[in-house]
Amino acid sequence: MDIIKILENTISALFGIDAAYFALAAIGLNVQFGYTGLLNFGQAAFMACGAYGLGMTSQYFGVGMWWGILIGLAFVVILGLLVGIPTLRLRADYLAIVTIATAEIVRLVVRSVQFKEYFGGSDGINSFSKSFRDLSPFDPAGQYGIRPFQYSGYSFWTMIVGWSLVALFSFLVFMLMKSPWGRVVKAIREDEDAVRSLGKNVYSYKMQSLIIGGAIGMFSGMIFALDRGSVQPDNYSRDVTFYVLTALVLGGVAKVRGSVVGPMMFWAIYVFSDNFLRELTKDKPFEIFGFGLIQKSQVGPVNYMLIGLGLMLLMTFRPQGVFGSKEEMALDGR
Amino acid sequence: MIETAAASKRWTGLCKALAIVAASVFAFSAPAQAEESGLSIVAAVQNQTIDGGVATKNPVAGVLISVTTATGSPIGEGTTDSSGTITINVPEKDTYVVTIDVSTLPEDVTLIDESKTQSTIEKDSFTTDTKRVTFFAGSSTSTGAPLFDRIAQRLVDGIRLGLIIAICSVGLSLIFGTTGLTNFAHGEMVTFGGLIAFWFNVLVGVPLLIAAPLVIALGGLFGLAMNAVIFAKLRKRGIGLISQLVVSVGLSIMLRNFFLYQFGGRTRPLDDFSLQVAKDFGPVNITMRDLTTAIISLVVLVSVALYLQKSRTGKAIRAVSDNPNLASSTGIDTQKIIRIVWFAGGALAAMGGLFRGLDEQVGFEMGSGLIFLMFAGITLGGLGSAYGALIGGFLVGILVELASLVVPAELKNAPALLILIIVLVVRPQGILGRKQRIG
Repeated sequence: MDIIKILENTISALFGIDAAYFALAAIGLNVQFGYTGLLNFGQAAFMACGAYGLGMTSQYFGVGMWWGILIGLAFVVILGLLVGIPTLRLRADYLAIVTIATAEIVRLVVRSVQFKEYFGGSDGINSFSKSFRDLSPFDPAGQYGIRPFQYSGYSFWTMIVGWSLVALFSFLVFMLMKSPWGRVVKAIREDEDAVRSLGKNVYSYKMQSLIIGGAIGMFSGMIFALDRGSVQPDNYSRDVTFYVLTALVLGGVAKVRGSVVGPMMFWAIYVFSDNFLRELTKDKPFEIFGFGLIQKSQVGPVNYMLIGLGLMLLMTFRPQGVFGSKEEMALDGR
Repeated sequence: MIETAAASKRWTGLCKALAIVAASVFAFSAPAQAEESGLSIVAAVQNQTIDGGVATKNPVAGVLISVTTATGSPIGEGTTDSSGTITINVPEKDTYVVTIDVSTLPEDVTLIDESKTQSTIEKDSFTTDTKRVTFFAGSSTSTGAPLFDRIAQRLVDGIRLGLIIAICSVGLSLIFGTTGLTNFAHGEMVTFGGLIAFWFNVLVGVPLLIAAPLVIALGGLFGLAMNAVIFAKLRKRGIGLISQLVVSVGLSIMLRNFFLYQFGGRTRPLDDFSLQVAKDFGPVNITMRDLTTAIISLVVLVSVALYLQKSRTGKAIRAVSDNPNLASSTGIDTQKIIRIVWFAGGALAAMGGLFRGLDEQVGFEMGSGLIFLMFAGITLGGLGSAYGALIGGFLVGILVELASLVVPAELKNAPALLILIIVLVVRPQGILGRKQRIG
């Protein structure tokens, strides 16, 4: 077993592109769930808005890359209104059900043959990242950084853009939550009726929060799509939202640093356990007392089982995660 | 009378089922050709026609097939010959994408699964030097049946689906009513039933009629265990409902991947009752198996409703659903009622899973695919109301099947979401729910 290699991969995952796009999604989810108490289980759909907004610039609209942000934002607003209008007046679990169902429908629509012309069906969209590549100041063939933080030129470029966006949105959200707007949404999380009695339009604030969080999630989808160079519908399945949620809870909800450090830890743990299990089962299945426990092909499911278990244990024993505080959690429901 | 092969009455369609069966049986019939690099992909296009219940396969020539790497750089392409196959050499064992150009198919021929224009070959799947990929086409199949017949057939299929959804979601709604928990892991209870039935029937070889009561009892115990090990503890610790909901999401992820780890990613049929002959009842066809499960479902649902309405325990369950504190103060043992509800919910979900497994096949995602329909059903019927779940689930099943007359098959669940949204806008408490719950 190559311990050094596993540790190197683990450390490099802390700052990898996966952590960056998860962090963006988590910052968005944090605005909705952490600060406003909206249980958005469809963050993957907002990420898909960004990815498809970007992908469709070249594949359908035939316009430049920067339009992708506008198109993505339009999608985000439409989606936010669609799920928000019926549910934001109701209890939190209605929003959860409707968002998760909408996210699933969005995925089915974009991968369907019926709308292949617009969204590329199950193949997704592949040719849109060239102008982004051209912006890169790095040599795509070169290696940058020092071990274990060594990346190819293009990865390095997307990472820099990704983490810059993380820094930007962390700062914006931090300032936003210090502003009067932030105080109102936090008050909504604590006691909706009290806020209403002060004459605030709770519904409108919730909607704004949902859309702002979704728009940040949109950038997450864009970074992910740019990194992979393709938009694939199945990358935005409902489980993605749950993994982002797990990462956020791990870091600590209602804390900006929680939403950034959580995803980093999540990916480090994930990569460690994935690498470890793969090394363990590389030559022969992992056995205890001659009883085959894990085969090579079962590493994936075992890993995801651990994520599910981790989410359960976190919610039960340390819902505030690493940085959060228990007082700031909208977890009692009404 | 139409005689069909295994699992032919699955409502995904006759042809698709045949294609799956045929794919597993006939997939290795082409001669492997020795080529210079030694590695090649053989793509075949076959056209299936069903005549008098016998499926015949004919090769389709002149179809353009291309092979690219996973990143999209081309490896080679060519058109199929008179045997319907084309061999394309590949340099190494790697991941490749095989694409069929649908526009080069003959005019009256379409792919059976129209979304399946591509097939990805994983690096690991090169067990030999030749990897075969088959695209199945079928000449237009839905011609002939008049609209009325199609509606009638869909209605029957919808009733069957609706009964299964209703059975699965009674527990979901009752658990919500008595404990306030929105249990996202309820779909996994359905899967549990299907997989345990598979284990008994296929792996151990117990006849399904004997296994069924065991499956249902084990499903009940599974529900009971879920409550005892997790949710009862959470309630005792005073953990909030939203936290409990997120825990149930974690549980759902864990269980689903546990099923995947144990069962693998394929869907597989149960042994018993898989070969069925559809009987003609006027405009609709239904197999005796499906008719029987539908009747059993209906009997079970009526019994559940009567039990809730008449029996002492049933009344207590409704009382706890209505107002746990009030029920508790009148001397009802709420925890006991909650245990009963979890047991009954788990047993019914397992039964639903068993029926669903007979209807389609069993797989690790069979329950999580139903959970949206279950949520739509109980929202339509009224969250927390047991009768609401029965009616709502039933209506959603019918609607989804009827909608598939106009909506493409891939999107057939979309109307269920639409109902969900419309209900929440127009009447958030659902048909039978009460307004104070929705808040």
